[in-house]
Amino acid sequence: MDHERYLRQQDVEGLGVERLQSMHVSVVGAGAVGNEIVKNLVLMGVGQIDVHDFDRVEIHNLTRSVFLREADVGASKAGALVARAAEVDPHVRLCAVEGDAWRTLRLAELARRDVLLCAVDNFEARMRMSQLCMLAGVDMVNAGIDSRHASVEVFRFSRPGPCACVECHLPDSAYRKVAERYSCGWLRRAMLAEDRIATTALTASVAGALAVQAALRIGGGEVPTSQRVLVDTRNGTGTAVALRPNPECPGCAALWPRPRRVPANGDWQAALAAHAGGAEAVILSDALIFDYACGECGTVAHAARHIGRRADEFDDRIMRCESCGQLAVRVDIRAEVGVDELRERFGGSPLPLKYLLAKVGEPDAVCIDLEDTP
Amino acid sequence: MTLPQEFKLSIRTADQTRRSELAVSPQQTGAEIIQSAVDHWVLPADADYTLVNVTQGRALTPHATLDQSGVRAGDELEVQPVLVAGARRCGASA
Repeated sequence: MDHERYLRQQDVEGLGVERLQSMHVSVVGAGAVGNEIVKNLVLMGVGQIDVHDFDRVEIHNLTRSVFLREADVGASKAGALVARAAEVDPHVRLCAVEGDAWRTLRLAELARRDVLLCAVDNFEARMRMSQLCMLAGVDMVNAGIDSRHASVEVFRFSRPGPCACVECHLPDSAYRKVAERYSCGWLRRAMLAEDRIATTALTASVAGALAVQAALRIGGGEVPTSQRVLVDTRNGTGTAVALRPNPECPGCAALWPRPRRVPANGDWQAALAAHAGGAEAVILSDALIFDYACGECGTVAHAARHIGRRADEFDDRIMRCESCGQLAVRVDIRAEVGVDELRERFGGSPLPLKYLLAKVGEPDAVCIDLEDTP
Repeated sequence: MTLPQEFKLSIRTADQTRRSELAVSPQQTGAEIIQSAVDHWVLPADADYTLVNVTQGRALTPHATLDQSGVRAGDELEVQPVLVAGARRCGASA
């Protein structure tokens, strides 16, 4: 290994070459901030970097994304970013993961990461990454920007004891924005107007620097609690505040103490029996469609294409009956269900979910990791 | 220490272009203080805000009262934007 490459940084306290090369991090979001984060991680010589994004490069990304070019328009953002970032330092192992990180990032895999850096463009994805990091016990660094400010939040999920999550300090307006994306009952709205926020490469650059600084310092114990830094990039002012756990947080209050994570090993019923035998109900990682019937036609033939699938695979157009054409379909979607009913409805099949959360005592809970298979 | 029925604190925006002295009740929540600031300063109503106590260096949870959040007379609060990484207010997930 060519240590001379890192000559100017290796004496910086806490940023030794060996330590950085041993790190394996996940970056979720390959937009403006994600580009800056990866740029800094690669320049610093972080050993392994996985980049998750489902999106494609658009022309307007090019004014803020250091690794993207006109030739990349239409290509996978994660793929284009990784291909160009790999040119910076051949010693860094980069991996592009195309798809929704909620689907592509397994809990057992995430648990082996040093930190997850989150640079996504909406509250829902942040909440979901927070949930995953909390269950995996992995620290999370959350970066955000507008046209003037850069903010970076650190959530110390790897530490013992209660810890604030992304939702602990979210205002109600954030939940309203999430709700706007859905019609009744977890079905996405087919038609959704997008409202773009003005941003620049300048705020993205500051956010990327602060995020990587925080991510690399976590392991050295310099960030003992969850915190948020907000910088006004125009006037140079900023604040750093502690983020304390919110005892009424909808995201984490019910998940303390943290659920014990156990593998399903391909048999969720056996795992439930072995680790959560006394549980009467479970919380599902994703809302599932339990029933689908037309108010005019009754049970319809195409119901079978929906029942047992995740609600997020569909939008609200499925409420129009394919047989009679009326907007009369009643879809029974649930994110929490009795164990007996779950067995009765889906007993013979694998569940298309990430995990099941079951209360096995007060206050103990278990997380059955459905994606952790031999 | 019990706060008086009404006490004064300072409040500012994150860019520090707006500042006010405010008489508040200890039973007011962070969310109510934010709404007052948005109305008073005519801040963009479609943005998302959070409140931090810069004197004590900690964020306030939206539905906790000032008393529960340990806010003291004379503290300075800051209304901050809640930021995501750019592109869309309601767009696709990553």
